[in-house]
Amino acid sequence: MSLFWIVLGQPGGLEEMATSKKLITREEWEKKLSDVKIRKEDMNKLVMDFLVMEGYVEAAEKFRVESGTEPDIDLATITDRMAAKKAVQCGNVEDAIEKVNDFNPEILDTNPQLFFHLQQQRLIELIRDGKVEEALEFAQEELAPRGEENQSFLEELERTVALLAFEDVSNCPVGDLLDMSQRLKTASEVDAAILASQSHEKDPKLPSLLKMLIWAQSQLDEKAAYPRINNLSTATLEDPRDL
Amino acid sequence: MPSTAAAAAAAAANQPDELIRRLRSGDGAVKLKALRELKNQIIGNRTKKLSYIKLGTVADVVGVLASSVSIDSDPGSGSGSSLIVESAAIIGSFACGVDAGVKAVLEAGAFPHLFRILSNPNEKVVDTTARSLRMIFQSRLAPKYDFSKNENADCLISLLNSDNENVTGLGASIITHSCKTIADQKILSSAGVLRRLITLLNGSLYQREASLEALTAMLSSNSAVISNFVDLDNGRALSSLINLMEDKSPRTRLLASTCLIVIGRTCSSYLQDIELKNKLILILVELLEEPDRVGDEVPFALAKLIVDREDLQRLAFEANALDKLCNFLQRETLQPKRFEGLLLAIAELCSRLESCRSKFFSLKVLNLVTNSLKHDAADVRTVACICLRNVTRSVKKLSAGYFMNEMVVDPLIQLLHDSSNSVQVAALSVISNIVVDFANRKSIFLRCGGIKELVRLSQSMDPTLRLNAVLALKNFVFLADNSSKECVLAELTVSTLVSLICDPEPKVQEQALAFVRNILESGIDSIKPVFTEDGIIINAVGRQVRNALDLNVCLEGIYALGNVATGNELHKEAVMHQILEPQVNGPSQSVLMKFLQGNNSQLRVGAIWCIINLTYPDGPGTSSRIARLRDGGVICQLKKLADDPCLDAKFRVKTALVQCVNNNSCAK
Repeated sequence: MSLFWIVLGQPGGLEEMATSKKLITREEWEKKLSDVKIRKEDMNKLVMDFLVMEGYVEAAEKFRVESGTEPDIDLATITDRMAAKKAVQCGNVEDAIEKVNDFNPEILDTNPQLFFHLQQQRLIELIRDGKVEEALEFAQEELAPRGEENQSFLEELERTVALLAFEDVSNCPVGDLLDMSQRLKTASEVDAAILASQSHEKDPKLPSLLKMLIWAQSQLDEKAAYPRINNLSTATLEDPRDL
Repeated sequence: MPSTAAAAAAAAANQPDELIRRLRSGDGAVKLKALRELKNQIIGNRTKKLSYIKLGTVADVVGVLASSVSIDSDPGSGSGSSLIVESAAIIGSFACGVDAGVKAVLEAGAFPHLFRILSNPNEKVVDTTARSLRMIFQSRLAPKYDFSKNENADCLISLLNSDNENVTGLGASIITHSCKTIADQKILSSAGVLRRLITLLNGSLYQREASLEALTAMLSSNSAVISNFVDLDNGRALSSLINLMEDKSPRTRLLASTCLIVIGRTCSSYLQDIELKNKLILILVELLEEPDRVGDEVPFALAKLIVDREDLQRLAFEANALDKLCNFLQRETLQPKRFEGLLLAIAELCSRLESCRSKFFSLKVLNLVTNSLKHDAADVRTVACICLRNVTRSVKKLSAGYFMNEMVVDPLIQLLHDSSNSVQVAALSVISNIVVDFANRKSIFLRCGGIKELVRLSQSMDPTLRLNAVLALKNFVFLADNSSKECVLAELTVSTLVSLICDPEPKVQEQALAFVRNILESGIDSIKPVFTEDGIIINAVGRQVRNALDLNVCLEGIYALGNVATGNELHKEAVMHQILEPQVNGPSQSVLMKFLQGNNSQLRVGAIWCIINLTYPDGPGTSSRIARLRDGGVICQLKKLADDPCLDAKFRVKTALVQCVNNNSCAK
């Protein structure tokens, strides 16, 4: 993305003079920053990308009307994607599977790993609800055949079924499967698969841009003292400490 | 307990019989609900698909599709399209990844219905239908789309020109599946399909990848279409392909590389640039790290790129490809497809360069490859053999007897009983290499029962098996001691050998004669066994030399006779008889004269060698033989060859003439 290279390109010129740490004052820095021209359209695209990826449908729609930025995905599909994701987060895995299949029946047919993880999540939810018999039957009927097809699925299945062996799951070695984080993990896999089926990347661009900013600042720290952005949410420049 | 009863009722409703009953219901709403349940049960679930296919459910679903199409054409009916969407999705899912499903879908006649639905105004209907058709076309069982019919070609163009991404993708998949012949490629190229596909390269990720696959099918082994492609827009098509090799999506990188490989294998001028070759190899080597489908397919692409190209093998070697491939091979859980690809790529790398083979041995993966001879998947066993065949070409290791041990030999002999024909053939090709063994450890192979199996396969009904079995036997007796040779002959029996010499396949004849030639090459003791049973072997050899049309058969035969002519008087006389006898149904001229007068220098040299051995001084019958040769016009013909353009022939003629003349002067 061109925007990123503009931002990075700026401090790059300092390298030659970096024999000892150079001090850059706020005035100099702000002047340099104001020399960087970023196209409004690029900024808007970045915002739209963030809204779309994070699933803010209404905001995206408003932003489209106000800024004239066209999203690269049909906004209506965001609702479907979010609904599927949310269903997993709430533990309604069966519902999530139906939603994914309605959205595009190809996704789970061509993505055995995601399919297995959804079924595994279903098993976890059954165990969480204490439906031991149903869980065993489900594991045997639905999951065991997948384990036969793939060695690593079998290992994961064994780990999951181990949950049944413990009275107190909070203290068991595979207890992490019952954590909320497991649901979130599966949900984000669903999200990524739907996005991939729409020829879309799975992560929004803005966070990676911020990561790049942090990386660039830490590179620059070795060569110069300059007004840094320490708080990403306010993005205020903080004066360099005296050398 | 009512709750349990309700649960039981719900479970019963999910039972296949019950679900199928509801599918056949006259009530649209019931039907729709049953379809949705079926869809959610089978998607991603191979086991469920297979059990429903067995129950004949596919035909029911196609029935729903067909009847819904007619409802849907009635304006004002909304439920028709939902039924179509659900049933089309189910049909696509049955066809996804399950051969039996594709078969059932085709047999139920879904194809024409699905094609008709593509012109439906409802976008969701078209999306689902196009996806399902694409699933079917991704299977090798799908019928070939006949591009030569005008209406078919028009239909394909309209698919490719559609605004709907799924529909253009379907068009590309049809090309990938069905464009197989030069004629297909020509029709599509002149219909302007190349240009359209290149435009699609700028589309979404999905369109780009579908289009790359279709381009690969259109360009494969067709230099005319390739040059059309390269000339498009002043070469911009080729450069955008090269750019895509560095795309962000790993699959795009792989597909673009594969397309370039296809171009370069057909027209090497487009893959001459050393930088481009290097780039291609580096990209493929890097892609080996990818998980799933891309990582599975990369080794095959790499193998395809370097097969028979020493320059590319060297570049790949320098890019550390062999280290990487062998590293991956040592990982614990490898899917069969990935394992097969890795072995194949290693095999190709080691096919020519000794440096690669040395590296292979130093990486200590030989045991792993040997163990994979016992792999469950036949394809893996086959490529494990091919890999062993190529590394055992190492003369250095071979002459050290490196492979002649039970660890290697035993599993190979086991494979000679394999249920797959191609595994057997591949195993024979390794055996052919390792039995050459200069280190005189051939007895190990005998002890493991290998000869018995080779003899069994030399009588197979399958000509390829026969050929490779005889070839292995031939290599085994090469430089073997006489006792080993006798063991082989005893196991093979004279009558089998004769029938192999007279095999319907010239290639088998050639190898059988070469076998005889190798048997005969260690002096008089090795000749005697060939003269058992009234000399039927030598008669068979002579018959082939006189009558065969195949050059190599004649060549092996004449050399075998040349070897016999080194024996005692009886042997020499037998050879005289074979080569001076007039040909059956031919001119009265002898076969010896035919070869000497012929255009083929190899045959001339073979014939001259015979004469040299027959006229070797000091034999009691030598003078008489020279006299008979003279009468047959042979000496006269030899003199004409004194200035033979073939140096070998010229040199040998000199020796032969000196022997004849000296003998003559002694006799006087």
